[in-house]
Amino acid sequence: MSLDDKLKSLRENGIDEAKRAQRLQELNDLRVNLLGKKGPITKALRGMKDVPAEQRPEIGTLANNVKKDIQQAIEEKMTELNEKLVAHQLEEEKIDVTLPAAKQVQGTKHILNQTIEDIEQFFIGLGYEVAPGYEVEEDHYNFERLNIPKDHPARDMQDTFYLSDELLMRTQTSAQEGRDMEAHDFTKGPLKMISPGVVYRRDDDDATHSHQFHQIEGLVVDKNISMADLKGTLEALCRHVFGAQREIRFRPSYFPFTEPSVEVDVSCFNCDGKGCRICKYTGWIEVLGAGLTHPNVLKMSGIDPNEYSGMAFGLGPERFAMLKYGINDIRDFYLNDVRFLEQFKGVN
Amino acid sequence: MKISVNWLKEYIPVTHTVEEMANKISLTGIESSPVELGTELTGLVVGHVTSVKPHPDSDHLKVCMVDVGEDEDIQIVCGAPNVAVDQYVIVATHGAHLPDGVRIKRGKLRGQESNGMICGLDEVGVPAKYMPEEFENGIYVFDEPQKPGTAVYDLLGLKDQMVDIDITPNRADTLGMRGAAWEIGATYDEKPSFKKPKLNTDKIKDLNDVDVEVEEKSLVPDYLLRELKDVKVGKSPLWMQRRLWNQGIRPVNSVIDAANYVMIEYGQPIQAYDLDKLAEKKLVIKKAHDGDKLKLADEDKVLNHNDLIVAAGEDILGVAGIVNGTVAQVDDNSKNILLEAGVFDGASVRKTAQRHDLRGDASNRFEKGVDNGIVSEALVRATQLVDETSAAKEISKEIVGNYTEAKPTVIEGSVSHINHLMGLELSTDEMVGILDRLGFTVKVDGDKITVTIPTRRWDMAIEADLVEEVNRIYGYENLPNTLPAGMETRGGYSQKREFSNKLRDVLLGEGMDEAINFSLLSKKEVDDFNVTSAEYTKLLHPMTEDHEYLRNSLIPGLVRNIAYNQARNNKDLSIFEQARIFARPKGQARPNEIEYLSGAISGNVMLDSWNTKAQKVDFYYLKGIVDEVLSFTNTDAKFEYEATDDYSNMHPGQTAKILANGQVVGLIGKLHPKYQKDHNVDETFVFELNIDALFELNKKSIKSQSAPKYPSVSRDLAILVKSDVENAQIISDIYENGGKYLNDVTIFDVYEGKNIKTNYKSLAYHLEFLNPNDTLTDEEVEKAFSLVKDSLVEKFNVEIR
Repeated sequence: MSLDDKLKSLRENGIDEAKRAQRLQELNDLRVNLLGKKGPITKALRGMKDVPAEQRPEIGTLANNVKKDIQQAIEEKMTELNEKLVAHQLEEEKIDVTLPAAKQVQGTKHILNQTIEDIEQFFIGLGYEVAPGYEVEEDHYNFERLNIPKDHPARDMQDTFYLSDELLMRTQTSAQEGRDMEAHDFTKGPLKMISPGVVYRRDDDDATHSHQFHQIEGLVVDKNISMADLKGTLEALCRHVFGAQREIRFRPSYFPFTEPSVEVDVSCFNCDGKGCRICKYTGWIEVLGAGLTHPNVLKMSGIDPNEYSGMAFGLGPERFAMLKYGINDIRDFYLNDVRFLEQFKGVN
Repeated sequence: MKISVNWLKEYIPVTHTVEEMANKISLTGIESSPVELGTELTGLVVGHVTSVKPHPDSDHLKVCMVDVGEDEDIQIVCGAPNVAVDQYVIVATHGAHLPDGVRIKRGKLRGQESNGMICGLDEVGVPAKYMPEEFENGIYVFDEPQKPGTAVYDLLGLKDQMVDIDITPNRADTLGMRGAAWEIGATYDEKPSFKKPKLNTDKIKDLNDVDVEVEEKSLVPDYLLRELKDVKVGKSPLWMQRRLWNQGIRPVNSVIDAANYVMIEYGQPIQAYDLDKLAEKKLVIKKAHDGDKLKLADEDKVLNHNDLIVAAGEDILGVAGIVNGTVAQVDDNSKNILLEAGVFDGASVRKTAQRHDLRGDASNRFEKGVDNGIVSEALVRATQLVDETSAAKEISKEIVGNYTEAKPTVIEGSVSHINHLMGLELSTDEMVGILDRLGFTVKVDGDKITVTIPTRRWDMAIEADLVEEVNRIYGYENLPNTLPAGMETRGGYSQKREFSNKLRDVLLGEGMDEAINFSLLSKKEVDDFNVTSAEYTKLLHPMTEDHEYLRNSLIPGLVRNIAYNQARNNKDLSIFEQARIFARPKGQARPNEIEYLSGAISGNVMLDSWNTKAQKVDFYYLKGIVDEVLSFTNTDAKFEYEATDDYSNMHPGQTAKILANGQVVGLIGKLHPKYQKDHNVDETFVFELNIDALFELNKKSIKSQSAPKYPSVSRDLAILVKSDVENAQIISDIYENGGKYLNDVTIFDVYEGKNIKTNYKSLAYHLEFLNPNDTLTDEEVEKAFSLVKDSLVEKFNVEIR
C-alpha cells in the first residue's frame, strides 16, 4: 500500500473509531494512540524516505490534514459526549420546587411600635425631634405646668397613679412640653418635637380601656404658629396614616393647656365618609385632640405669648392601630400572643 | 344636659331639625346628639272615666267606661288600684303603639271586653324613677280636666325633641336653658330674649323671722335667701312637671319643683327649707365638725371638718351646694318657706361631693362654676314661681348672707394678632360681628379691640379665648391648611434611641418577635428578678395587687407571655422587649428609668421539617444572639460571660453575668426548673441587657486596614483537661502564649463521656497564624505552637492528644 493510501486509510479508521466512542476516556486513548509520537501516523511518516522528493511536500500536507481531521472528529465527539453528560446531570438534579422552604425567620416588630415609628418618621421628615421624656414624672410637669393646678376640675378627667404627693406615673405625654420648652434655645430656631411614650391612668382594663397605653405628643413653638398650621399639619398626618383621600375637621373642645382646643376627626377611611359601622354612621372618626398652646403654658416656660405661639397635639397609637387594622380589644396589644403579633409582619 | 326644643323656642326661633342642630352645635361649640322622645308612640289620648264597676270574675280588675271623645264611651278593663270615676287619664286605644314594641289590641279580659288600656306614665315612656311618686303603682291621673280624645303627647312632653349637649368642663354656662340659648343662638345668629322675673310687690314685706351668717365668706361669695309666708304647698303645674321629668328630675311638690326648675332654667341651683322646722331661726354656713352627721332619707353621712354645711342651731340642714338633709325638708304641710340661692366654691364642693359620693345636679354646676351675675335674679324667679303655684301671703326682701358684686370681664385683644393665631384675615367688622352674636360688647380702637364679656361666660379671660370664640363661630371648616413656615429644623432621634433601635433590629433579624408588657407588676414579680438590687417603687393607691410595683426587670413580663402562648399551644417562642425598668437608689424618691433589652426563647429554634431535624434552644443558641447584639454596640469594650448562681430564679449551672470591661451589663441563662414549673412554662432561656450602660461604653474608632495578602497557617490542637476548667481560661492562655502571629482561636469540639476518663473532657481548638507582611515559615509556626502546648500542660495539666 502506498504511503498515500496508508494515511487515507488511517484517517478513515480514526474518524470511524472516534464516532463510535461511548466514553471520554476512549477518545483520550484514541488521541494518544493515533496522534501521539508512537502512533501509526508518525510511524507511517518514517516511510517518507522512500517517497520521491517531489512528492514529499504533498504527502506532508496530507499527513497534517489527516491529523487535523482525526483531531476534529475526536473533538466533535467529545463535545457531544460532554453535552450528554451535562444533560444527564441536570436530569439527575431536578427537584420539586413546590416543596416548602427551609424557613428563614425575621421577627415582627410590635404593631404599636410599628404605628409609633411610622408617625415618628412622618414628623422627622417635617423636621421634628423625637424626645421621649420620663414615665415617672413630677406633678409639676404633668399638671401644674400644663395649666392644671390642684383642684382643677380637669384632674377628674384623668385619674392618676401617684407615687408620692409630688411624683406620679405620667398621665399624658404632654408632660414633656414644659421640659422641652425650658430646654430649647429659641435663638437657634423653632421648637418642633414629638414625644412618644407610655402613659398610665387609674382605669380598669377592659376592651376599650387599659391602665397603661401609649401617646404621642406633638409641640411646635415659633413666632408665627396658627390654627391653620395645626390643621394643615394634622391633615397631612392623617393622610399619611389613613390614606391620601382623607380630610379632617376640627370640633371645639377643652383642654386646660391649649386655647383654642379642638377634637380632630378624620373622614372615615372605611366608607369614605358615607357612613358605616366604624364611623357610627357619621362619616367621621375622632382621632386626636389638639390646640394652640395656652399662653399660661408658654409663660410658665419663660416664653412671651405676645411674641411666640405654639401648637400642640396628642394622639393615641392604640387608637390609630385599632382603627386602621380593625382591632377590637385594646388588651390584645399587651397579651403578646405571637399569632396576633405576627399577623402585622412588615405592615409599616 | 338635654335642651328641649319646645323650651328653647321661648328664647330663640328654631327652624332646624334636632339632627341638623346637634351636628351644627357639635362643629361650632359643644358636642351634641339629637334626642327624639316617643317617636314610636301612637294612639294615646285623654280619656274621661265615666263609670267604674267591679269585674264579675276578678278581685282586682275593674270594668270602666271611658269617654275618649268618640260618639260612645268605650269599655276598658283596668287593674290599677287607683282608677276611679271622673278621672282624666291616658288611654291607649285599639292599635296604639307603646315603647318597647308593645301594641294595644281590643280583646277580652276574663270574659269582659276591653277596648284599650288606661296607662301609667312609665307605660308611655316616662322612666318610673322620674315620675311623681303618687303614680308609682298605678295609672296616671291628670290634675285638671282635659278634653277627651285629645292626644296626650304635648300635655305630657312624651314626644319632646331635644339636643343632648355633652359639655366640656369650661362650658358650664350651658348647664342652664338660658345659657344654652345664648350658645345655640350664636351658632344660628339669633340673639335670645328673656322675660325678667317679677314679684308681686304688694306681698313684699320686711320680715325678720330668720337670721343668716356666712362664716366661710371666701368659700361662699354669694348667699341670698327669701322667705315666703303662709304658702299652700301642692302639686306644681303640669307644664313644669313634664319639663322636669324630661330632664330626669322627679316632680315632688310645688316648692321643690320650682327650685329645680330654676336650676334648669338659669343653671343656678336653688334650695328650699321649711322655716318652721328649724331648731334655731338662724342659718349658719360653716365647716362641719368631724363626726357631724347629715340625715338623708336612706342613710346618714358622717361629715368631716372640710365639709361646708348649712346649719341651724344643732341641726345640719344640708351640705352646702350639694344636698339637703331631711331635717328641714319642705313637704305638703309646710307653711313658711326659705329659698336659698348661693355660690359655693367649686373645689370645696367637688371634694365633699366626691368624699361622700353625693355628686348630683347641683354639685355638678358649682364644681364647674355658676354665673354669679344672676344669683339674685334666679332667686327672684324661684320665689315668683313658688308664689304663683303656692300662693304666699307675704314675701321677704332679699336676705343677704354674703354678696359679691359680679364684674364683667374685659379682654383686650388685637384684630391682627387674633387673625394671626387663627391663620385668617378677617376684617374688624367680621370679627366684631361674631363677638356680638355671642352677646359680647366690643369697643374698637384701630387694631385694638376691648371686649366686655357678660358674667355668664366666666370661662373667658384672655385674648386666646377670643381666638377660640371667633374661630369656632366663623367655622373651623373655613380654615386653610398650612404648615409652620419658620426656620428649617433638622428632625430625628436621639443618639441613644438610634443605638437602641440598632440593637433591637439585631433581635428582629434573629427571628425574635417584639412584645410590649405592662410596667406595673405584682410584689412577687418584682421579688423574682430583683437583679439591680435597687429599692422598689410602689404606687400609693394601686388598683389591683397585679399592678402594684414598677417593674425592675423585663423578664417577668416575657415569662408571662411565654406561659400565655404555651397554654394556647404556641410552643416554640422567641420574643423580646425593649423598654424601661425602674431602679430606685436608696434614699431617693424618684426611681431611675433605665432602658433594657430582654429576650426569652422556649421550645424549638429549628422545626421538624421534611429536610431538617427539630433543634431545641440551648444556652449557646441564645448566647450567639447576645454576642451578635453586643457586636453591634460599636465599642472596644471587652465582653465576658461569668458563671453565676446569684439569681435564685435562674438555673445555677446555666447562668452567666454579662460583663463589659468588668462591669455587669446583663445576664443570660436558663430559668430555674422550679420557677419554670411555677409559671407553667417549658424550658426557657432568657437574657437581659442594660442598654443605657452599653450606650455609655467607649465607642470603637475604626481605622481601615487592607485585608492581608499573605496566606494564614493553621494548626489543630486536641487536649484532655479536667471538666471544671473553662473554655475561656484555655483560650485566654493560648492567646497569651501564641506569639504575635496568632490571629484567631476557635473551639471546634467538646466531648465528655465514652472513652474519656471521668471528670475529664476533650477539647479541640483550631489556631490560625498570620503574618500580614510576609509568608510564615513552618518553623515560626511550630515554635509558637509548642509554646502554647507547653503552657497548657504546665498550667492546666492537660494531656495533648
